[in-house]
Amino acid sequence: MTEKIGRRGFLMIAAAGAAGVAGLQLVRKADASEGVQGEHQWAMVIDQNKCTGCGYCVMVCRAHNDISPEITWNPVLAAGRVGDKDVYLPRPCMQCAKAPCVDVCMVGANYYRPDGIVMMDYNRCIGCRYCEVACPYGARSFNWKEFDGANPAVPEWGEPEVDRRPRGVPEKCSFCYQRIDRGLALGLKPGVDREATPACVGACPTRARLFGDLNDPHSEVSVILKEHPSYRLREDLGTGPRVYYLPVDSEA
Amino acid sequence: MNIALMKTFITSAWGKWVILLSIFLALGATAGLYILTQGLAATNLTDLVPWGLWIAIDLSSIAIAGGAFFLCAGVYLLGLKKYEPVARTATFVGLAGYTMAMLALMLDIGRPDRFWHALIYWNKHSLLWEVTMCVMLYLTVLLLEVIPTLSSFEWLRTRYPWLASRLENVHHIAPYLAIAGLCLSMLHQSSLGAVYGVLKSRPIWYRPDVAVLFIMSAVAAGMALTVFASMLSARLTSRAVIKDELLERVAYFIGWIMVGYLYFRFWDALSMNYTYQAGRTEGLAILTSGVLSFNFWFLEILLGAVVPIILLLNKKTRMMPAVRMLALALIVAGVVTYRWDTNLVGQLVMVSYLPGELAVSYTSYRPALIEWLAGMGIIAYGLMLFSVGVRYLRVVDHTIYEEAHVTVAKQAPTHGQTVPTQP
Repeated sequence: MTEKIGRRGFLMIAAAGAAGVAGLQLVRKADASEGVQGEHQWAMVIDQNKCTGCGYCVMVCRAHNDISPEITWNPVLAAGRVGDKDVYLPRPCMQCAKAPCVDVCMVGANYYRPDGIVMMDYNRCIGCRYCEVACPYGARSFNWKEFDGANPAVPEWGEPEVDRRPRGVPEKCSFCYQRIDRGLALGLKPGVDREATPACVGACPTRARLFGDLNDPHSEVSVILKEHPSYRLREDLGTGPRVYYLPVDSEA
Repeated sequence: MNIALMKTFITSAWGKWVILLSIFLALGATAGLYILTQGLAATNLTDLVPWGLWIAIDLSSIAIAGGAFFLCAGVYLLGLKKYEPVARTATFVGLAGYTMAMLALMLDIGRPDRFWHALIYWNKHSLLWEVTMCVMLYLTVLLLEVIPTLSSFEWLRTRYPWLASRLENVHHIAPYLAIAGLCLSMLHQSSLGAVYGVLKSRPIWYRPDVAVLFIMSAVAAGMALTVFASMLSARLTSRAVIKDELLERVAYFIGWIMVGYLYFRFWDALSMNYTYQAGRTEGLAILTSGVLSFNFWFLEILLGAVVPIILLLNKKTRMMPAVRMLALALIVAGVVTYRWDTNLVGQLVMVSYLPGELAVSYTSYRPALIEWLAGMGIIAYGLMLFSVGVRYLRVVDHTIYEEAHVTVAKQAPTHGQTVPTQP
C-alpha cells in the first residue's frame, strides 16, 4: 500500500522545507550580527568618585566633533548624592555589543566596526529615527535643523576633526574614532597618547575617564576593571555596553 | 471652458466637494513644501517623541487599506466570486491608503531625497526594512490589480478601445496577484506592529501581541472602510451601484473579526496588568487612567469595538443601512485611534537608564499646526482619489461583473455625457 504523495502533500512539504531553511538562515544571521571581533576592543571607564560634573568633556566633544550647541553627545547627568557628595554620570554612546540601533536601522546606516565602535553612516541614513526610538540610552540626537554658522566651542575647546552632519539625520558619539584611527596610523597608543584618545578622556581635569583596549590585559582599562567593581547601564537589557562605571565608594 | 459650464460645475454637489478637497490639498501641499524645504524643526517632534502625527497617519492609512488583500484572497483563492465587485472597491481603497502612507513617510523622514536608499541598502534584520520591501512590492501588486479598473474610464474606452481591452485583460492574473498580495500583506501588516513590538527599550511596546493586533485590526478596519465608503457613495451618487445583500454579509463577517480582535485585546491588556515592570505598568496606566484614557476606553474599546460588534452581529440593527454605516465608521475610527495611541504611548513613557531602581519619566506631544495641515492634505488626497474613482472608474459598482466579459468594443457607453465624439 504505497500511498502517493498528492500535489497538496507535496506543496505542504515543500513549504515546510522552505520555511525551515529560511528560519535556519535567520538564526545563523542573528548569531553573526554581533560583528567581527577585531584586534582591538575599545572600552571607556568612567570613575564616578572622580567626576566633579565640570562639563569640560561636553565642551571638547562639541569642538572636536563640530556639534551644534543644541545637541549633546555626551551629557553629564546629576545622579543623586552619596553622603555629602554630589554624584555625576557622564553618558556617551554605550557602543553596545548588541546595539538596538544597528538591528533596527532599515538601510544599514548603523554598523559595527571590528573594534566594537558603533558607527553611523551619515550619508546613507534616510532620517526615519527608528534608531532614536530604539536606543535605551537616549544617545541619539536628531538634526531637526541645519547647524550653520560658527561653532561657539571652537577654537576655545579645540578644532573640528570630522564633517558636520547635515539636517535630517540623527547623530551620536563615536568614541572619537577619527582620533583613534589617526593615532594608530601615527604609531600612537589610544588610551595612553592623548592625541589618539577620545577628546573627552584627555580633557577631563580629574582623570575620571579612562580609555583603552580590552584585548590588551595590561591596558589601564583592563587592569582597573579587574581590580575594581564596576557596572554598566541597563545591563539587564543585554545590550553589552562598552562604557563601564566605577561606582562611588561610600567609605572613601 | 465656457462660463456657463464653470457655473454648473461650481453649483453642483460634485463641484463643491472637489473645491473643498482642493482647498485642503492646497493647504497640505503648502505645508508639505515648507517642511521639505525648511526641515522638521517646524514640527512639534522632539528627540523624546520623534514619531508623531504623520507616523500615526501612515500606520492608519496602511490599516484601512487592509481590506484589499483579505477580500481579494477570499474572491480569487477561496472562490467567493460574488464578492468580486467588493474586492474591486477594496483594492482601490487600498491603493489610496498605501499612496497616502507613502506621502506621509516622505514628509516624515529627515532625508526624503534619499528615500531610494531603502531599495538599495538592505538591513535584513530591520523590521522596518521588511515593512518597506513588502509595502513597495504590495503597492506594485495593488497597481496591477487596479489596472483593470482603469479600463472602465469612459473616455479611454471610447477613444482607445484597444488599450482599454488590454488593461482589462490584466484581470486574468488576478488570482496570482491575490496570492502575492496575501503573502506580502500578512507579512507587513503584522510586522508594522512588530516594528514597535521588538523594541526592548520601550516596555509598553515590547510584546509580541502588537503584531497580531495590528493585522487583525487592519483586516477589520480595511473591510469596514470599504463597505462604509461603498454605502456612502451609493447614497450620494447614482454612479455608485451597490447590492446591499453583499455588503450586509461582509459587515456581518467584520463583526466576527472584531470579536476576535477584542478577545486578543482583552488578554493583551489584562496580562500587562500584573507584575510591575517599569515603563510597561506606567504606559498601561496612561491608557487606562491617564491622558489617553478617553481614547482607550471610549474610542477604542466601547465605541470602536463593543458597540459595533453588537450593531453588526444583531440582525435587526445590521439590516438598517444607517446603523450599519455608523457601526462601520466607528470601527474605522477605533482602529485609527488605536494606531495613534500605540505610537504615542511608548514615547510618552521614558525608562531611566541611571543606576538603581528603574525610574520612569514622562514626555508630551501635541502636533503643530503645520503637521495638521500637511496631514489633512494627505487625507484630502485619499478622499479625492476615491471620489474620482467612484465618479469615473466605476469603483463602486456591484453590477459591473454581470455585464462583464462583454468585450470593450461591443459595450456602448452607459453614462458619459462628457464623452467626446470621435472624429
